Amino acid sequence: MPLETWLEQLRRGTLDLAILLTVSAGPRYGLAIIQHLEEFTDLVVAEGTIYPILGRLTREGLLESSWVEDEAPHPRKYYRLTRQGASRLAHMKTEWRSFVEKIDRLMKADSAAERSQREA
Amino acid sequence: MKLSEVGESRVNGYLFVLERSLVSFLPRDTARDAVREIDSHLRDRIAVVDAAPDERTALEKILSDLGPPRRVAQAYSVERSVDEAVMTGKTFAIVSAVWHVAMSGVTGFLMGFLAFCGYMIGAAFVILGIMKPFFPDQIGFWVNDDSALKGFDLSWRMGLGPGVRHEHLVGGYWVVPICLGVGFGILYLTHRGVRAFLRWWRRRRAPFSVSVRPAL
Repeated sequence: MPLETWLEQLRRGTLDLAILLTVSAGPRYGLAIIQHLEEFTDLVVAEGTIYPILGRLTREGLLESSWVEDEAPHPRKYYRLTRQGASRLAHMKTEWRSFVEKIDRLMKADSAAERSQREA
Repeated sequence: MKLSEVGESRVNGYLFVLERSLVSFLPRDTARDAVREIDSHLRDRIAVVDAAPDERTALEKILSDLGPPRRVAQAYSVERSVDEAVMTGKTFAIVSAVWHVAMSGVTGFLMGFLAFCGYMIGAAFVILGIMKPFFPDQIGFWVNDDSALKGFDLSWRMGLGPGVRHEHLVGGYWVVPICLGVGFGILYLTHRGVRAFLRWWRRRRAPFSVSVRPAL
């Protein structure tokens, strides 16, 4: 598998977590979510396709949405985390930290083996 | 940037194509809600952009960042149909999801083709099993009498009536349970396989549903 494909898969796999984290601080509308992701990560989502993903997360009960009519010259659809979404996010964060820790350990072991090989 | 009449027409044209694409597979209310959200996104983008070097270029950049309307609609279709298929397991939802996935790339197409073959072969066996009592002399296993190894010849075939001369029917009414068993077995395995594929597909997310720019 080419490196670029692997990177894409890695990023794609973490997108749900990134979106849930983005709305965990408070309600956001689609464009604000995209801008937040652009600001803090290099996960740049094709703008028109984040909305189907937000729709899926809403159908799964992790997000809820509502239209706000009076905030801008046009209505905006805001997304917020549901209780189920908050619980899922907590699990995802735990899993993510554990995953990163394991991979880190593996990389440290690999580096140590490399060092000892060089010394020998 | 405040849009001119031409710019407004361009935006309305984009939204029109998007809505036409969405209503082909989404309930009308859901499609309208999606179009309203994309409209809101465009208005937000347009409001903060300068008409530089000119309105047309700036607007085309915004629309291109969003993606072509049919592609956006396709992303909705995959997210929705695959989700529904995996969650409900309903036949119609699965067929619809396979159709959308098959339209999205080579892997999806191959899976769609295999699923089509599996469902068709399974259905053909079931139909033969059901029809046997009504056409007892026409349906069954046909053996070629001309074969040197009568009864053990690989030219055995199953179907409606003799295809060539010197064939006779064997199996009797055992054809019914055999065909129904094999047919439903193939349908069940195909269905299980398709659901497993769609679950895998859902996990990896359709390649066009999220485009990720490589890190700089």
